[in-house]
Amino acid sequence: MPDPITQIIQLVTSTYFLEIVVFPGLISIAILGAFFTWFERKLTARVQLRIGPSYSSPAGGILQGFADIIKLLFKELIIPEGADRFFFIMSPVTALIIGAALLGLIPFAPGVQIANVEVGLPAFLAIVTLSPTLVLLAGWSANSKFPFIGGLRALFQQTAYEIPLWLSALGVVMITGTLNLTGIVQFQQNNGWLILPQALGALLFIVTSTAEMERLPFDLPEAESEIMMGWQAEYPGPLFMLVQGPAFIKLYAFAALFSTLYLGGYLGPAIIPPIVWFFLKTIVIIVAVMLFRSTFPRVRLDQLLRQGWTTLLTLSIVNIVIAYFIVVGVPAI
Amino acid sequence: MTDLTFLALATVTVASAILALEARDLVYGAAALGITFLGMAGLFFLLDASYVGAFQIAVYIGAVVVLILFTVMLVGPQLGEPPLELRRLSLLTALLVALLLGTAGSLTSAAAFPGPDNCGGGCDLTRLGTTLINQYGVPLEFLSLVLAAAVIGALTLAKADRKG
Repeated sequence: MPDPITQIIQLVTSTYFLEIVVFPGLISIAILGAFFTWFERKLTARVQLRIGPSYSSPAGGILQGFADIIKLLFKELIIPEGADRFFFIMSPVTALIIGAALLGLIPFAPGVQIANVEVGLPAFLAIVTLSPTLVLLAGWSANSKFPFIGGLRALFQQTAYEIPLWLSALGVVMITGTLNLTGIVQFQQNNGWLILPQALGALLFIVTSTAEMERLPFDLPEAESEIMMGWQAEYPGPLFMLVQGPAFIKLYAFAALFSTLYLGGYLGPAIIPPIVWFFLKTIVIIVAVMLFRSTFPRVRLDQLLRQGWTTLLTLSIVNIVIAYFIVVGVPAI
Repeated sequence: MTDLTFLALATVTVASAILALEARDLVYGAAALGITFLGMAGLFFLLDASYVGAFQIAVYIGAVVVLILFTVMLVGPQLGEPPLELRRLSLLTALLVALLLGTAGSLTSAAAFPGPDNCGGGCDLTRLGTTLINQYGVPLEFLSLVLAAAVIGALTLAKADRKG
């Protein structure tokens, strides 16, 4: 019988453990989250001809995210009077777990994937559907006006984008004939990236996933100029960090999913390793989504609902018809 | 290992189902219902039906629980009715349901379900799709009414409150 210390060493050095804890798991998520907070602020600042964070280090304030984390961690944990403590604390924690679960499904490189689920794509989208419910519970539990309005907005928003989001990803499934994310990447290895035949689907996917991520121009549940950060308004320092974390993890996960579905994931000329290709594509998508933030004004809730149920839904059905003709071939008339 | 996972999932499912019925606060009830559905999805995953599991989460939590929460939030987060007292009628109902389920259970012989389809690593989704549409088209359409039922339930809750 092996002694416990050897067993622990074996566990810690096993690939599975490293994948969960170090990469693509928890530690890399935390570092990337801190990096993206800085990156987004810097990028938005540059677009708006400002300087942005610059004090935290010589290299343009690149450590600002870490400084923010340390600052937030040392703040007092105040739970508002009359708040529902259970949901108030559990919602951000569960949201963080959900964000981490999303990253477990993404194939980062051949073999570098925490869970190669047979139905990876629907599993990803199904896990994502949980987050507006958590936003509502968080907003409700704070027992305050603006958080509650923000939570309700999150639910309304979900009814607008959820169906187009699933339908836009369906085009990829029809063409590749698989729901497995690794399978989708392998299909693109033989048949070229899907961004060209599925250009409309890719556009719809990025619009609806921006709505899912609650980012401008669809950040209605937060909308700092209308309802003061909405559902996040009552969260004190350390919990606010837990609330902000999942937002960046979701941005990262959706960008990774976009590059997996439409940009060939880790595929690319062998000059640089697959994982670098993957990150290059993901960062391009992240920059694009961050540029939405600094360029588009926020939509109103009724505009989003109307566009979601008319334009987006119609276009996603058109996209499915396009995918059908790609699979079956255009009939000769 | 599977037994332990199964036991844990089953306990969570049953306990949260009881909580969903008995919780005085409607929001807690709805959240417990969501956990019940999550547990059921877990059971589906345990049965290697990951496709069904993913859609269990998407449809039941992403739509049904959301609709219920919508209603609860819109009619105001007040306390719901106190739990009904145990009456003879509810005992009778419990007995009837148990009898019905028992009869159904004893009637479902092995012949009714010709064994688990052994499809190795993962069942062929293409075959699942064609079977669903070709053989079980009508039941599928009826199953899709579950969302209609959820909408009607949500509307009933909202309306009942406005009268009172």
